[in-house]
Amino acid sequence: MFDQSKIGQSFPPFTYQVERSKIHELNLAIGDENPLYHSKEAAQAAGYPDVPASPTTPTTFQFWGNTDFVKHLVAIGVNVMRIIHGEEEYEYLAPVYAGDVLTGVTTLVDGKSRQSKDGSSMDILTLETRYTNQSGQEVLKARQVLIVR
Amino acid sequence: MTTEAKLPTKRYFEDVQVGDEIPRLVKAPVTHLQLVRYAGASGDFNPLHTDPKIGEMLGIGGIIAHGMLIMGFLGQLLSDYVGPTALRKFGVRFKSMTRLDDVITCSGTITEKYEADGEARIAGKVQAVDQNGDVKASGTFVAALPKRGGE
Repeated sequence: MFDQSKIGQSFPPFTYQVERSKIHELNLAIGDENPLYHSKEAAQAAGYPDVPASPTTPTTFQFWGNTDFVKHLVAIGVNVMRIIHGEEEYEYLAPVYAGDVLTGVTTLVDGKSRQSKDGSSMDILTLETRYTNQSGQEVLKARQVLIVR
Repeated sequence: MTTEAKLPTKRYFEDVQVGDEIPRLVKAPVTHLQLVRYAGASGDFNPLHTDPKIGEMLGIGGIIAHGMLIMGFLGQLLSDYVGPTALRKFGVRFKSMTRLDDVITCSGTITEKYEADGEARIAGKVQAVDQNGDVKASGTFVAALPKRGGE
């Protein structure tokens, strides 16, 4: 059974500098050849201040910005080898560009135990990370559902 | 980087109607090398995406793709359609595991047009399916589009 007393707990804030090369690398791996994600010149020619974050670039904010993320999950009792990613949702409040410095705070907003079809128990955790930029502007809310079997 | 890829053309609110389909995106087959690259790029080094031995040990029969790679394919579909800074909301639910050599096709439909927070917005649904029609991920999005003659 998941320890419900952990709900509402936030992990320590982390900061992450959005890197042009990381946006480039992520989109190479995805196979997205849109020049805006690969060239500052192309981005500026199209009217953007720098390379914009692509829709799923925020995944790099989490894993590269919060390198203790797995450690924090272990600390609240999650067996990280049994995690399945159930859902991911982004709310884009303002554009994010290469060079921005983001601060993220992740909060466990929900956690419950459920019986799966085969009778075994699984935990369903919902985490929300709110990001602000170097001007203090809130730019992104990321919500993820992790299933721990 | 020099690339031959073209910038998508700008899309206006008036160009989009409820029921419109987003041009399909068919991705190249998923490869082991792609998953290794995606692990390094994203920072998600969970070995079940890169180490076949772990996949066998967990009883899932080899490695599986990161769910976020599939969401990345859907993100490409959407950013080609509305541009890189137009999305206001984008969420997916992961439905089944993607394996090596799977060919993922992304598609979407516009479900709504409305105005909110001083913006002209569209909403729609998207999904990613494999070569057998199995749904890997499905979700919804909201995007803001410019109006012709406005701004």
